[in-house]
Formats: sequence, C-alpha cells, structure tokens
Amino acid sequence: MGEEIRVLYFGTARETTGKNEELLTAEDTADLRHQLIQKYPALGKIPFRMALNKELLKADAPLNNNDIIAILPPFQGG
Amino acid sequence: MKNRYLVRGPITPLLISELLTLGNDDAGTGAVSIFIGRVRDDEIDGKRVNAIEYSAYDEMVVKEADGITGTIKSAFSDVRSVIILHSTGVVRAGEASLFIMVTSGHRDHGTRACRHALEMVKERLPIWKKELF
Repeated sequence: MGEEIRVLYFGTARETTGKNEELLTAEDTADLRHQLIQKYPALGKIPFRMALNKELLKADAPLNNNDIIAILPPFQGG
Repeated sequence: MKNRYLVRGPITPLLISELLTLGNDDAGTGAVSIFIGRVRDDEIDGKRVNAIEYSAYDEMVVKEADGITGTIKSAFSDVRSVIILHSTGVVRAGEASLFIMVTSGHRDHGTRACRHALEMVKERLPIWKKELF
C-alpha cells in the first residue's frame, strides 16, 4: 500500500522513461526512488533529484495522497 | 510569454529593446546591468550544434525565480528591480536564450547583483537543454 502520487519527468528522465508523467503509489520518496530504478534501470544512471510539490528535496520525505513529485536531472539553464 | 520568467523561442532583439525600457519611470535608477546568454555553436563529437531545445518545469521556475529575485533584493540594498527571462523551445546558435537585467541606484550593487543572479539562475532554475545538430 502507499499514497497515490503524480510523478513528473523532465529532461533526460523523459527520454529514459518515455513518459511526461504517470500515477504511482509509494510510501515515501525512498520507496519511490527504489521503484523507479527497478522500473526504469537507465534512470539509475542519471543523478536525478526530486522536488515534492515544487520544493527541491534535500532528504527523503514522507508522501501524501495527490502529492506531485518531479524527477529532476541536473539543471542546464543559462 | 509563458509566464514572467519564460518565453517561447529566442529572446529577440525586439524583445530585449522592450525589456530595456522597463523601469524607465524610476528616476532613482542610475545603473542598468545586463547579462545576455546566447547559444554557442559548440562542436560535440565532431558535430556542430545548430540549436538548443530548452524545456522547463514551468511552475517551479516561477517559484525559484521569485526566490532568486527576493534573495538579490535582500542581499543588495541598492537594487531596485530584477528581471530574469529564459527561453523554452528551440533557440538557434547565435540567438539569445537568457536575459538578466538589474536596475540599481549605482553601479556597484547592480553589477554584482547581476552576476549573482546569473549564478543562481544556473544553479536553481529547473531548465534542461537538448542539443540539435
């Protein structure tokens, strides 16, 4: 069991997963990270960070229903 | 403009000329410091970059750029306004993809704040690029 969350993919994570977004169920961000790397092994090679509801995470965090998690490869603006 | 920080396609000379007029009504501004970033035609693996396609997490860009603007204004008391604009979509080599403008009373805070804003933009804005050849 777990919370239903919306996962958004950006940058190379989009090409790796072939998706812009999807709905997944996870207990917390550590669980989500584990699931993602199992589902998309190539994602494990990208040093991605996660944002929870637009806030960049510095450590793993619990999840609530309808949270939005963004998968963020290293930023390349400028 | 997609929002006040993102524009679809290149930042054109026409758009830049319009941006330069912002704050003209603020007679306390004595210095306008600008950084313009352009797409370089780098060679990667023997291929020349023709353009870059930028993508962004739009909503988070707004939140982070708001934060950068606030930080700059707190850190540099002489700064009167900060404008940050980044492209999304395709920008060809030679065209501008980033525009930062800081207005200030005097040059010192303005030039330092512009440089500081640039570093924060590169570090904090969720924007990605894909080279097109």
